[in-house]
Amino acid sequence: MKRINLKENLVAYSFMSPALILLGTFLLLPALMAVYYAFTDYYLLTPQDKKFIGLENFVQLFNDPVFLQSLKNIFIFVICVIPIQVGAALGLALLINKNRRGNLFFKVAYFSPVVLSLVVISVLWLYLLNPSDGMINAILEKVGIEPQPFLTSPDQAMYTIVFVSAWQGAGYQMLIFLAGLQNIPSSVYEASKIDGANNWQNFLHITLPLLKPTSILIMITTLIAAFKLIIQPMVMTQGGPMNSTMTPVYYIYQTGFSDRLIGYASAMTVVFGILIGIVTIIQSRISKEDE
Amino acid sequence: MKRIKILIVCISMLMIITACNSEGASSSGNKNEVSIWVHTSEETAEGKAMQNIIDRFNKEYEGKYSAQIEFIPRSGSGGGYEDKINAALTTNTLPDVLTLDGPNTAAYAESKIIAPIGEYITNKDDLLPSIIEQGTYEGKLYAVGYSESGVGVFYNKKMLKEAGVDLSTLPTVDDPWNWKQFMDLCEILVKKYDKPAVDMGLNDKSEWLMYAYTPFLWSQGGSILNEEKTKAIGYFNNEDAVKTMNFIQDMIDKGYTTKTPVEKAFQTEVYPMKFTGSWTIAEMESSYPKVDYGVMPYPTSPETNKLVSPSGSWQYAMSATTEKDKAAGALIDFMTSTESLTEIALANSVLPAAHSVVEKIKDEVSPQMQVLIEQNAKTAHARPVLPEYPQVSRVFQQTISAVTYPEENENVQKLLDEQAAKIDQALK
Repeated sequence: MKRINLKENLVAYSFMSPALILLGTFLLLPALMAVYYAFTDYYLLTPQDKKFIGLENFVQLFNDPVFLQSLKNIFIFVICVIPIQVGAALGLALLINKNRRGNLFFKVAYFSPVVLSLVVISVLWLYLLNPSDGMINAILEKVGIEPQPFLTSPDQAMYTIVFVSAWQGAGYQMLIFLAGLQNIPSSVYEASKIDGANNWQNFLHITLPLLKPTSILIMITTLIAAFKLIIQPMVMTQGGPMNSTMTPVYYIYQTGFSDRLIGYASAMTVVFGILIGIVTIIQSRISKEDE
Repeated sequence: MKRIKILIVCISMLMIITACNSEGASSSGNKNEVSIWVHTSEETAEGKAMQNIIDRFNKEYEGKYSAQIEFIPRSGSGGGYEDKINAALTTNTLPDVLTLDGPNTAAYAESKIIAPIGEYITNKDDLLPSIIEQGTYEGKLYAVGYSESGVGVFYNKKMLKEAGVDLSTLPTVDDPWNWKQFMDLCEILVKKYDKPAVDMGLNDKSEWLMYAYTPFLWSQGGSILNEEKTKAIGYFNNEDAVKTMNFIQDMIDKGYTTKTPVEKAFQTEVYPMKFTGSWTIAEMESSYPKVDYGVMPYPTSPETNKLVSPSGSWQYAMSATTEKDKAAGALIDFMTSTESLTEIALANSVLPAAHSVVEKIKDEVSPQMQVLIEQNAKTAHARPVLPEYPQVSRVFQQTISAVTYPEENENVQKLLDEQAAKIDQALK
C-alpha cells in the first residue's frame, strides 16, 4: 500500500513539474533575485560590478519624496477605484441578469473595453478628455458646466484615471458577478416571494449574502490589479502634473530602466511587494471574520 | 505505464524548449567580418539608406572587411532596442558596432560598453561641433552622430499676413528676435485670433521638454550644471535660470502658448505658430500640402541676443568588447563619410551632420529646411554629456512642466532651489 502511495506521489509531482519549473524560473527566481539586488548597487549597464551595500537603498528610499508620493497616490487610487469599479460591475451584472431583449448586445458592449488594449483605451480617453477640444468638455459646456482641466490638473488627474480605469475594468468583474448571480438557485427567491419580500429586501438578504464568495474573489483580484497601475498614467500623464499620478510600479520602471538603477528599483519592489502582501492579508482576514 | 510514457514525452519536450534558447547569438570567428545593430526597421527610409551604405561598404572593402547589419526596431522612447542592448550586456553578446541615442553616450562610455573611436574617424574636422560635443566624454570621442536634428518656429504665412505682420521683417538666423520681440508677435496673433499663438509642445512631458527648452537657458547664459558637471545648486537656481523660467511662465500666463494644445492645431491652421523640427516638414509635405508656412529661428534672450538651438541624434559607436576594432573602425569611418552622411540626410529628410554635407544638400532642400540647416550648423548646442543624464533630464522636464502651472509655482526661485537640490541628489 505504502509503495503505491509513493509511486502515486511521484507521478503526481512529475506531472506538476513542468508547471513548477516554469513558475520557479519565471516567478520565484526573479523575485528572489530582486530581493538580493535590493541590497546591491546594481547599475543596469555594469552588471559585473555590482557590490553589496547593505541597507543603503532602503534608507534612501524612505527619504525619496517621489516614492512616498507614489505610495500616497496609489492608495488614493485603490481606495477610490475598488468601490466604483466593483459597484459598477455588480450593477451591470444585475442589469443584464434578467432575461430581456437585446441582452447580448449589452453584454458585449459592457465587456468590450476589457477586450481592448489598455494603451488604446488610454489614448482614446486622452482625446476625449483634451481640455481644449475634447468631447467631454464640449458636452459639459452644452449643459452649462465649466470646462474642466482633467488630466492636466494636479488635483483632478488621479481621479480622472480612477474613472477611466473603473470604466475599463468593470466589464470583467461584471462577468464573474453574472456567473455568481446565475448560481443562486431560483427556489430561494421563490420562497422569499411567498414570504412577501420586495425586490430591495431580496437583493439585501438573498443576493448579496449568496454572492459573498464571488465578491471576496473579485475584491482581492481587483485590489492586487489596482496596485499595479502603470499603463494609464504612463500613456496619459507621464506621472504628472507634478508627480500627482506617479505610481510605485511606474516609478520602479523609470528608476530601473531609464535611470538604470536596478539595485534601487529592486529595493522599491521589495518594499512595495511587502506592502501589497500586508494589505492582502488584512483584507482576507476581514472577509474571514465576517463568516 | 501509459502515464509514465506521457510524462517522459512532456519532460523531453520541455528540455527541447529550453535547449533551443541556450544556443545564444554566436558571433562569427572571422576577424574581418563585423556585425552592426541599428535601432530602426529596414522598412523605413533611414533603414533602407543604412542597408545601402552597408552594401557599398561590403563592395568597396571586398576581400578585406565585410559587415552584417541587424535591424532591431525600437518603440517610441527607445524601448525594444535598448532592452536588447541591456540583455546582450549581461550575456556578453554585443555586436561590434551599434547605434545609440545622443544622451546615452556618457553612460555607455562610463560603463565601458563603447570604446573611443577618435583614431578611426578621418573627417573629424568636417563634423559639426554639436556632433563632436554630443559624442565626446571625458575628452575622448566615443560616438559619431550620423544626422542632426533641430527645432525652429514654424509659422503660417497667411495667418501672419492677415494679422498685419510684414513677413519681410521676420527674423533670420543672422538676425534673430529676442523673447520680447517674439512675445510682441504673439500678442498681435492672440489679439487677432483669440487663440494661443504658438504650440510649444508643452503637452509632451517627455524628452522634448529637455531638448527644446534647454536652448532658452543657454541663450540666457545659464546652464543646468557647473562645467565639471558635478553640481546644479548655484547654476540651475541662479538668476539666469530664474529669468529663463519666468519667460516660459509669461508665455503661459499671457495666453501666448498653452499646455493643452488642440491636436494638430498648426497643421490645420488653428494656431499660427508651432515649435517643431524637420519631421514636421515631411508631415506638411505629405499631409498638408496646401498650408503655406515658413520657419524662423529660435527666439533669444534679450540680454545676450545669442541664438542657441536644440540638437541631438542617434550615433554609431564601437563596442568595447570587440576584437575586430580595425574592421569596426573602418566601418564607422565609412558610415560617417560625406557620401554616407549625405545619403542618410536626404533619404530620411533630417539635418546633415557635417559641414561638407551642408554644402552639398543646401540647394536641394526646401527653403524651410534651409533655415533649420543653417541654424543648426551655426548655433546647435548638444545636451549635457553625463552618465546621470536620465535623472537630470527628468528633473529639467518636471521643472518646465511645473513652471507652466503659475498658480502652484508662482515662486520660481523656490521651485528652482528644490529642483537643483534634486539634481545634486542624483549626481551624488
